[in-house]
Amino acid sequence: MAKMKFLCDAERCIECNGCVTACKNENEVPWGVNRRRVITLGDGEVGEKSISVACMHCTDAPCSAVCPVDCFYTTDDGIVLHDKDLCIGCGYCFYACPFGAPQYPSEQAFGVRGKMDKCTFCAGGPVDDNSVAEYDKYGANRVSQGKLPLCAEMCSTKALLAGDGDMVADIYRERILKRGDRPQTWGWEKAYGSTV
Amino acid sequence: MKLIRKRTVETTGKFTGLGETIDRRTFLARSGIAVGAATAATMLTPGRVRKAHAASSEARIGPITVKKSVCTHCSVGCGVVAEVQNGVWTGQEPDFDSPLNLGAHCAKGASVREHGHGERRLKYPMKLVGGKWVRMSWDDAINEVGDGMLKLREESGPDSVYWMGSAKFNNEQAYLFRKFAAMWGTNNVDHQARICHSTTVAGVANTWGYGAMTNSYNDMHNSRAMLFIGSNPAEAHPVSLQHIFRAKENGSKMIVIDPRYTRTAAHADHYVRIRPGSDVAIMWGMLWHIFENGWEDKEYIRQRVYGLDEVQAEVAKWTPEETERVTGAPEDVVKTAAKMMAENSPATFVWCMGGTQHTIGNNNTRAYCAFQLALGNIGKSGGGANIFRGHDNVQGATDFCVLSHSLPGYYGLSDGAWKHWSRVWDLEHEWVKGRFHPEQVEGDKGKPIHPMNYRGIPVSRWVDGVLEESIGQSDNIRCMVWAGHAVNSQTRGPEMKKAMSKLDMMVIIDPYPTHAAVMHDRTDGVYLLPACTQFETYGSVTASNRSLQWREKVVEPLFESLPDHTIFYKFARKFGFENELCKNIAVENDEPDIEDITREFNRGMWTIGYTGQSPERLKLHLANKHTFNTTTLKAEGGPCDGDYYGMPWPCWGNPEMNHPGTPVLYDTSKPVAEGGLCFRARFGVEHEGNNILAVDSWPKGSEIQGGHPEFTADLLKQLGWWDDLTAEEKALADGKNWKTDLSGGIQRVAIKHGCAPFGNAKARAIVWTFPDRVPIHREPLYTPDRELAAKYPTYEDRKRFYRLPTRYMSIQKDDYTKDFPIVFTSGRLVEYEGGGEESRSNPWLAELQQEMFAEVNPKDANDVGLKDGDMIWIETPEGARIKVKTMITRRVAPGVVFTPFHFGGWYEGEDLLDKYPPGAEPYVRGEACNTAFTYGYDSVTQMQESKVTLCRIKLA
Amino acid sequence: MNASIRKLLVWTGAILLTATLTGCYESPTVTLFEPGVYKGADDPLLANTDNGSLNERFAGQMDR
Repeated sequence: MAKMKFLCDAERCIECNGCVTACKNENEVPWGVNRRRVITLGDGEVGEKSISVACMHCTDAPCSAVCPVDCFYTTDDGIVLHDKDLCIGCGYCFYACPFGAPQYPSEQAFGVRGKMDKCTFCAGGPVDDNSVAEYDKYGANRVSQGKLPLCAEMCSTKALLAGDGDMVADIYRERILKRGDRPQTWGWEKAYGSTV
Repeated sequence: MKLIRKRTVETTGKFTGLGETIDRRTFLARSGIAVGAATAATMLTPGRVRKAHAASSEARIGPITVKKSVCTHCSVGCGVVAEVQNGVWTGQEPDFDSPLNLGAHCAKGASVREHGHGERRLKYPMKLVGGKWVRMSWDDAINEVGDGMLKLREESGPDSVYWMGSAKFNNEQAYLFRKFAAMWGTNNVDHQARICHSTTVAGVANTWGYGAMTNSYNDMHNSRAMLFIGSNPAEAHPVSLQHIFRAKENGSKMIVIDPRYTRTAAHADHYVRIRPGSDVAIMWGMLWHIFENGWEDKEYIRQRVYGLDEVQAEVAKWTPEETERVTGAPEDVVKTAAKMMAENSPATFVWCMGGTQHTIGNNNTRAYCAFQLALGNIGKSGGGANIFRGHDNVQGATDFCVLSHSLPGYYGLSDGAWKHWSRVWDLEHEWVKGRFHPEQVEGDKGKPIHPMNYRGIPVSRWVDGVLEESIGQSDNIRCMVWAGHAVNSQTRGPEMKKAMSKLDMMVIIDPYPTHAAVMHDRTDGVYLLPACTQFETYGSVTASNRSLQWREKVVEPLFESLPDHTIFYKFARKFGFENELCKNIAVENDEPDIEDITREFNRGMWTIGYTGQSPERLKLHLANKHTFNTTTLKAEGGPCDGDYYGMPWPCWGNPEMNHPGTPVLYDTSKPVAEGGLCFRARFGVEHEGNNILAVDSWPKGSEIQGGHPEFTADLLKQLGWWDDLTAEEKALADGKNWKTDLSGGIQRVAIKHGCAPFGNAKARAIVWTFPDRVPIHREPLYTPDRELAAKYPTYEDRKRFYRLPTRYMSIQKDDYTKDFPIVFTSGRLVEYEGGGEESRSNPWLAELQQEMFAEVNPKDANDVGLKDGDMIWIETPEGARIKVKTMITRRVAPGVVFTPFHFGGWYEGEDLLDKYPPGAEPYVRGEACNTAFTYGYDSVTQMQESKVTLCRIKLA
Repeated sequence: MNASIRKLLVWTGAILLTATLTGCYESPTVTLFEPGVYKGADDPLLANTDNGSLNERFAGQMDR
């Protein structure tokens, strides 16, 4: 079985935010909730680097480990998803996540946290695939349609890759070989426990 | 279970103290909190978002229709794949088949589906009555506006109404709009090209024949070195980076020359920081090293370049010391850049608005060309002058000359040009002439000229067309029409506001209200007519690489909006010339047939080869995108076999000739019939006794092995090729030339013999018809350095230039540096485009950039006592000021302040939210930086000097 | 007061009562928490993923 992974090639990421709006577009994520974002290190200085970050769908997901209601599950393909009906919006997963992925829409009055929302690897949630209910609660389910996350599919420079971890790693290794530089797979090791 | 989609198979927020730098995202995250709180009442609240959700997920039930279009933001030409359900645009997929973007999008391209919903669109025609927006019907709007214009025409002549067109038009609309303006009887028609790349078009066309990007984004895969000056494609053309990185990963060297350490510079191998406005100096400084070391391509120059010796004499003055004195770039840094370009061949050269928007913009662009000619890089795959255009169809709108100085195809405004187009339009030249004001006026050269032949007032100067007293037309401009145009791209805000008050009438035709709808203090006489976007109509669009792509209609026009060509047909009928406008164009429900318009321009655009791209061929390319090679752009097999994608112009002859298009201009390694070319013989055959035709160089397979003039019927006869024409061709071609023969026979026969229809000449490094024959450095009007102003002074003032008095020395002679010590410049952000109204009304984009800001170096911030996030006033010498948020960063050098130019909806510190029609307010508003930019216009094209002026900053 | 109006009132009252009482009713199916065990709804995707077509689709992300 394949293990789905994200990889952002910092040598190619130009912080164009295409991945961010692709995600908004595909999942109609409301204003203020960012399932994906681009982080720039050393902005405006020599050595400036950007990386696109979302839920990495970790091999041993720390969010899942700390969740008091065990609302997380991992698909056979390694996609980490959660049931919003179980989620109590406690925010523990946000503190556990090394990537700051979990988001909480402040829908309720008095700033009470809503149900956690995060990147689903465009794989919907625990509702009938491609149903209205699934779309409204979790967003698009591209994976069930044989498609990969739109953020990676639309990446302007093909910096962000999403798919079978082995294939992703192969492409990246080829690039490294060609460029002759050292791998800088920010987050990969943390999420998947191994180097590329 | 309701299935929403069938499976479709398709091919750091840490505290920063005084003067501490900050990254842009953190800056925005912070400002976002403020915006969210301050505008909770007016912006979308989460509850409302949820509601919108539910509505759109219902629309997702049902079969999917796939429509193919092209992104409407920049000029890369990214394919857009739209999924439509129940007439609603419900999904957007990557266009993996497109050879231009291979599925990729930037933030703007990945969010175009929002245009299919357009919550903040202008929804129906409106007018301002007593300070309130009142809804009207289309019929009433056309009648009322039309009557007003006819009255002005009666009182002040046709030149009193100004028709501002758009780079957002598709080719057909651009062509029809230019024709419409001609039939209204004015040359007061222009569009964004004037203010973005007019100095490029003028400078480049006058160097080697055509003013467009010579190669393509894809061809950059073949570059061994790439130089970017005044160009930041990581933000302005993000998808082009896919091609640029491909080259870089194959070992190509990447050099960025810019006053800012841009996001593009962050990826470069070598970065050269220069002072804004010192482009000629840096180019000559680099060439100094090239000549000094004998790195120039001597054989190429002998065969194909004229006048480089004069350039060399000028370059000799630009020693490393002088170059550093003027540009600020030290010798080793400059030499490294020169060496990289010389040693890695072929090398390509990219420039954008950082180079064009200067009083010496035309000198800058010619200096870039001369640099590439010296290295022998033009006319080669991997080389070229890759001038990235801005808007999605600014190349097309330029080619159709929605411009005050020419008819479509760069034919100019001479009687010959008018006669050519009258023939294409199937109208009497006298009838067309009769539409203009009959009296001659004093022209730019002091001689009388008929208004029909006199270039009109350019976009950059419409304000002066309203306010100046002595101008070259019968009366001032009294009505402005902006059809898809952002006034916040023009400088001198306070004077613009004054001009707006003086106008009799303002008409805004746009999907959004625009900054023009709110920045004035008028209470009456402003009309808003809703145009639809390019996703609600169809037609062809020309990408920066000269490829034409066909767009399909994705959805029907939203609300009461109409396509631009329908709107202008309605006006033509109101004015009584609809039959002449559409004599050979079918009209249904007031909508002129797009394909008929394409076919009409195919019959007239011989100069630049827009003649071979018939609607049928364009649609064939659309259906077979996947068959084109992603580096060469050539179809490999399939129905388009041998064609280049989008038939990049010139696509010679008529469509039946099946010319494949020209992927790389002036490339002699291919036969003309297969997309090869030589430099154009545009400037005669000799100059000051020197031969200026090519020597020992010709396109592969040419039967004339050497230079030759352009083809005419007489030349064909002299060569004994006349009888290669058919009898029908002979009848139309006799007495004509390659540009005016409507049969296309002269082009066909020339190409049959392997020759370029436009002749074979040398490129010229000097332009004797321009104010500066050799490109020279001149200081900006508002220069920070008085010593340099004395050494490199600007031009003398001109009495009449494009109908207007134009000042140079009378401004530069005064010293402003004491009160205004900081250089002020501007540029793009990735999330927004142009004036930004459309992108700031798209919540997916607006969320990413919520506030107008200024980049300030820590040194300047500490000198003034600023900390990050402080609101400041930027004040400029002509008395304008803007209020923006400080962002402290070393991206800019000490002494330079940068702001993005996409904001609008504020004026001198005031948020104009209340002045928008309710429901059509952009989510994000901010001060337009051009409110504060100052006087200054290019000496050839009237391009505004919006990349360098002086300012001071202080805490607001 | 005629009969039809009385009838209407009775019905309205009945509907209102039902509606009010419904608000007090709680679902008897309580999710009993058991550490480490996911007790949410099933995701049909688990058995539905077609890796073959996903891998084919991945070609779109490669340099061509």
